[in-house]
Amino acid sequence: MDVEAAKAIGAGIACLGMGGAGMGLGAIFGNYLAGALRNPSAADGQFGRLIFGFAVTEALGIFSLLIALLLLFT
Amino acid sequence: MSNDPIHQFQISKLIPIEIGGVDLSFTNSSAFMAAAAIAAGAFLFFGSANRALVPTRLQSMAEMSYEFVANMLRDAAGSHGMRFFPFVFSLFMFVLFGNLFGLFPYFFTITSHIIVTFALAMLVIGTVVIYGFAKHGLRFLKLFVPSGVPGLLVPLVVLIEVISFLSRPVSLSVRLFANMLAGHITLKVFAGFVTSLAAFGAVGVAGAVLPLAMTVALTALEFLVAFLQAYVFAVLTCMYLNDALHPSH
Amino acid sequence: MAKDSRPDETGKPGSERMIGTGGGDEDLERRRLRLEATLAERRPASRDGKDAQNPSSKNSFGNAIKLSSEFVAAIVVGVGIGWVLDYWAGTKPWGLIVFLFLGFAAGVLNVMRSAGMVAEHGSQPPFGKDGSS
Repeated sequence: MDVEAAKAIGAGIACLGMGGAGMGLGAIFGNYLAGALRNPSAADGQFGRLIFGFAVTEALGIFSLLIALLLLFT
Repeated sequence: MSNDPIHQFQISKLIPIEIGGVDLSFTNSSAFMAAAAIAAGAFLFFGSANRALVPTRLQSMAEMSYEFVANMLRDAAGSHGMRFFPFVFSLFMFVLFGNLFGLFPYFFTITSHIIVTFALAMLVIGTVVIYGFAKHGLRFLKLFVPSGVPGLLVPLVVLIEVISFLSRPVSLSVRLFANMLAGHITLKVFAGFVTSLAAFGAVGVAGAVLPLAMTVALTALEFLVAFLQAYVFAVLTCMYLNDALHPSH
Repeated sequence: MAKDSRPDETGKPGSERMIGTGGGDEDLERRRLRLEATLAERRPASRDGKDAQNPSSKNSFGNAIKLSSEFVAAIVVGVGIGWVLDYWAGTKPWGLIVFLFLGFAAGVLNVMRSAGMVAEHGSQPPFGKDGSS
């Protein structure tokens, strides 16, 4: 197999990791929304933790994006 | 009518002009830009022509758009920001009329080309940068250094702030462009379903009602998006101008 | 609704004109009171519903568009800078890696800024953790 083709395939496989990050983000925002609907008055106070969780989860997705970009552009 | 959903975005030369090897042709895009500018101007001119105390419908719409943008700018940038009112207002009206013109069948959507939206965004950011440096000099660079940062983190934070600043024209232009492009492609694809289903005879015509209803609903959504994108564009312009007026606060 | 409101408009001049005849006046008065009550009952509900729903749905739709595109744009700009830096300076993978993470931090900062979490260019946001992670 050609090296370029193998790189492209590898980049595509690496992007599967973004799907995991997507699921994680869905869980975070879904649970935040569920909690906010139960106790709307406490929702604003927890927004910072929501963003923190979002950042940490998305960082793992960014790792797989990084692998894909490295495979494609280097 | 072809089923190619990209066909509507093609640029054709109406009057070929070439000066010094640079292609300056008057295209359908320029024609619709001129039409949007003229329509916005005519709307405001005739809206404010007779200055009745009890406004007519046209006058009240013109006044509403004026008040809307004026309040937006005053909220975002304070009363100092009102010197940018002509800029923000013409930008808002141009984007709004460009978006709304695109909703007519067979019309060209000027804001569905990234170079147009990027030029508008660069106009905004260029105004911010030039006005910021002219007004504040080098103190404008304090925009990138938040106060109260521990010494070691300053280079990192400055780098992040610079990237954040540079991402503004990109997000401003890509948002408008992507929304208009995606909306029009979706509309065209669903409209294409109607014609291709109707070719199957009576059953097809009955089935074509569904994508037709979808097209109608999408057109309504596109009207909302057309207004909303012009609004978001103008609001963000106001916020960025606020940075130029008050860089460190 | 339109049927109900017509007697109210004519009710005022009518009651002035018919001041001598007691029965009609009282009847009108009663009908007007009832109309006012029903109007007062109906009006705030319908207007509140419209006011509460329209701007909030419009704003949150606009916000959603704004937030997602700002996050993505910062990452794109970071990768672009990193790639160009690699191209010119020859530091092959490292510029891309470093600037991707910086772009990510800038994206989170953008999101927090437009969500109103961080003052526009004021206090230090807690993104130091992200940048060093």
